[in-house]
Amino acid sequence: METFELKLAEQRGNIAVLEVAGYINNEGGEAIAKEAKRLVDDGVRSLLFDLRATRIINSIGISLLLEVLERLLEVRGTLAFCSLTPSIAKTFQIMGLAQYARIFPDRGAAIQGLDPAQ
Amino acid sequence: MSAMSDPMRVRVVLPRTARAELAAVQAVEDLGQRVAFPRDTLAEVKLAVVEACLNALEYGAGDVVVEFAVHLKNGGPWLEVAVVDHGPGFNPSRVPTPALEEKLRAPRKRGWGIELMRHLMDEVEISSRPGYTKVRMIRRWGGK
Repeated sequence: METFELKLAEQRGNIAVLEVAGYINNEGGEAIAKEAKRLVDDGVRSLLFDLRATRIINSIGISLLLEVLERLLEVRGTLAFCSLTPSIAKTFQIMGLAQYARIFPDRGAAIQGLDPAQ
Repeated sequence: MSAMSDPMRVRVVLPRTARAELAAVQAVEDLGQRVAFPRDTLAEVKLAVVEACLNALEYGAGDVVVEFAVHLKNGGPWLEVAVVDHGPGFNPSRVPTPALEEKLRAPRKRGWGIELMRHLMDEVEISSRPGYTKVRMIRRWGGK
């Protein structure tokens, strides 16, 4: 149930799209943070998390996403999410994450928003 | 459990294993489907239950028991969840409200659980003393 999977789906210039499936808990969050650090260290400045296949996230997983956000803010980068379920969108809104991260309805809108040249 | 009984009750004892909280999530799903609770509402209840279970598993001791009741009368259906642990207890009034701006600067970015529960459920009541902590939460059909 809710098996976690993380996949680098696209990388265009300094934009990377990570598809996340399953439960984002401590283990999932750590995997995300590790991959995000690698990408940012490689020069990626816009990280888009496609959460279309994620139904459950917990506060430990979220705290690890905050580490990703902190790192991106340090390099003046952008954290973005797309395809959030209503409950995860509400969770992000409760935390105030929408003030620091960009949230898009779907991946197409996100790519367009992050890189208008596309 | 009878679909006609009021309330319908389910009791789950969480194992002390990784992802144990998902057993409680499954119970929410099963109960919610029985009374056709709105899916988006159920999804919010699941997130709140996960947070309550995580706190109990992390800070509690002994068995963590999750009791669910779906009340069909008195304006129902409404869902009641109680998560009980036997840890050292804590004073809920001393748990700070997290602020994202501060968390981003702080080395420890956790501490969101109770805040999320309070926003995702209609009522959250925490009673705690050494050896017994109970988080009781309610979500109504048309709540939040």
